[in-house]
Amino acid sequence: MEYRVGAGTFRALNDVSFELPTHRVVGIVGETGCGKSTLGHAIPRLLPQPPAIVRSGKVVFRGVDLLRLPKWQMPSIRGTGIGMIFQEPINSLNPAFRVGDQVAEAVHIRRMRERGLDPTFRRDVQGTDYSRREMPRAGDVVSAPFVPPALVDRAKARSPPVSKELHEEVLSFLRLVRINDPERIVSLFPHELSGGMRQRIMIAMALSGKPGLLIADEPTSALDVTIQAQVLTLMKELMEEVQTSILFISHDLGVIAEMADEVGVMYAGHLIEFGPVAEIFESPRHPYTKALLRSIPNRYKSEGPLPSLAGSVPNLSRMPAGCAFHPRCPIARDVCRHDPEPPFVAAPAGPDGAVHRSACYFPEEVASLP
Amino acid sequence: MGRSKGDLVVFIGKRLLQLIPVLLGVVLITFIFTHLAVPNPCAAWAGPKATPSVIKGCEQFYGLNKPLPVQFEDYIVGLVTGNWGIDPLTHTAVLPSILAAFPATLELVLAALFLMVVVGIPLGVVAAASSGRVADHLVRIFYLSGWSTPTYIAGAVLFIWASKEFGLSGGAFSTITSPVPTITHMSVVDAILAGSPSATADALEHLVLPATALAFINMGVATRMTRTSMLETLPLEFVKTARMKGLTEFWVLYKHALRNALITTTTVLGLTTGAMISGTVVIESIFTWPGVGLYAYDAITSYDFNGTIGVVIFFAVVVVVANLIADVLYGLLDPRVEWR
Repeated sequence: MEYRVGAGTFRALNDVSFELPTHRVVGIVGETGCGKSTLGHAIPRLLPQPPAIVRSGKVVFRGVDLLRLPKWQMPSIRGTGIGMIFQEPINSLNPAFRVGDQVAEAVHIRRMRERGLDPTFRRDVQGTDYSRREMPRAGDVVSAPFVPPALVDRAKARSPPVSKELHEEVLSFLRLVRINDPERIVSLFPHELSGGMRQRIMIAMALSGKPGLLIADEPTSALDVTIQAQVLTLMKELMEEVQTSILFISHDLGVIAEMADEVGVMYAGHLIEFGPVAEIFESPRHPYTKALLRSIPNRYKSEGPLPSLAGSVPNLSRMPAGCAFHPRCPIARDVCRHDPEPPFVAAPAGPDGAVHRSACYFPEEVASLP
Repeated sequence: MGRSKGDLVVFIGKRLLQLIPVLLGVVLITFIFTHLAVPNPCAAWAGPKATPSVIKGCEQFYGLNKPLPVQFEDYIVGLVTGNWGIDPLTHTAVLPSILAAFPATLELVLAALFLMVVVGIPLGVVAAASSGRVADHLVRIFYLSGWSTPTYIAGAVLFIWASKEFGLSGGAFSTITSPVPTITHMSVVDAILAGSPSATADALEHLVLPATALAFINMGVATRMTRTSMLETLPLEFVKTARMKGLTEFWVLYKHALRNALITTTTVLGLTTGAMISGTVVIESIFTWPGVGLYAYDAITSYDFNGTIGVVIFFAVVVVVANLIADVLYGLLDPRVEWR
């Protein structure tokens, strides 16, 4: 994944490879500009092209490579296949429509697809059998044969979206995100709601498509700390109630530790470590992860200033040769300073027996770092 | 202030009150200009062979021998009581003439606005959606050519070309063959109300050329504003949200993005309506469209003070009301606006 800006190109995502298991939460963590948000936007192809260019790679969702899909088929994937929650709920809700109508639109799209009334919907691409009336599961590789769009009863397809049934379903999704008086809230505009409420509406809207994969791009970063805690608790509870896989993007290690089953650490457009969250936190296999963990404040120990990592993230247009992290790495040697980059492979088991993938030539030595 | 119906009524009332000082200024300026520009109109009215005594009598009759402040006072009093003076050549009263001509102008302006909305706004959306590509450049060439063409040239060229190519005649008085009862004094509306398809087609045929000429000039405003505000709207986060719902690009553009982009376009369309009113003077003269514009042209060329000032006052009212309508629409489109 590259961005072409002016004369230069920036390689924003490079060799980011991982699997998202069904009904699991994968966290992506990294500092600002490491490409985690770009990753979240690249999966449902939300990046504007140009300037974004996909050089190579695959995004396989339900057996379909999304990057090879014609552009006009992408709406079939979105909403009912992949849902998304964005960082700032004030910007991500349309200021001109009532929030109830905005949620109703998402519900309406899903219901039309469930009934085969959406003429633009490609079931073969989507691969979801909505007649089961249950949550689709991500990772279900469905190779359904191509079914031409059903001859649609035009009158039904155009029926006004605000039927009573639809309204009830909207209310039920608002209750799902713990909104107490949904009857009042539906008729309000986004600017009449608080930040926390707006994000609840966004979550309700994303869930009302019953997506197999939910991408949460820093969903709490723009909120106050107390509201942030409420929204996180809500999402944690919803994970139990709703069957969906989640890609949770955050710069906050604490949030990731709370929410994710597995975690990927990104640095300068590279995925440098990926594994179960407990393992990554207990025994990191990459010096950058180690440094990140070291910078979490510990409320039980106070040993002077919080340690910080010297240097800064390299400019994406002038990446160093070899490992992207070597200029800041305490254990870098000659081999790290020359191409090729260290491969992203399963690191040998450390003394504690942990095995997961990391992009470091010397994963065993990370444990001995301060 | 809030957004209730009462707030809206107060808002409209306040704006209409603001109209009074605006009109006073308009009357004063036009009055002074017309009287200074032609110090002795009676000579022009009476013709080259008029005797001094005739001119004297004329000045007596129209009160032109009184000092200017007194004339102004007389005029204001007449204005308030509904007596806007008479046309010295035809001896018809000004206000009834303007009011009789107004429906034709309104029809022309509404038709031009309709064209600007149904052609100009979608063109702006297309240009924004294909920003920097061929379609964008073509749209920009189209509206810039409209923008940079003077009204009288566009009107005259369209008139000559269309009458040669299609035998279209344009203008309202040429070949209305099937008279229909006049209710609204708008030819198309009357024909539709009369339920006569042939009369409707005939009326539309006469309307299409002047309306197209008037719209072509101002198309640039609608298209450019839509394009610009769409370009500002499209990168916003809620457009991504709309895409992530699974909406097709058509609905993302025309429902979610355009709804917000229209807020700016509406305001500008209101301002443009004022410019279009002045455009009607030229367009109506070319197409002999029997509206206020043609009346204004005749009044100015025949040194008709009362007619000229009357038309200017009338245009001022129309411009202010058009802007008021635009402001109300703006508030209706944007739920964050409060009536103040």
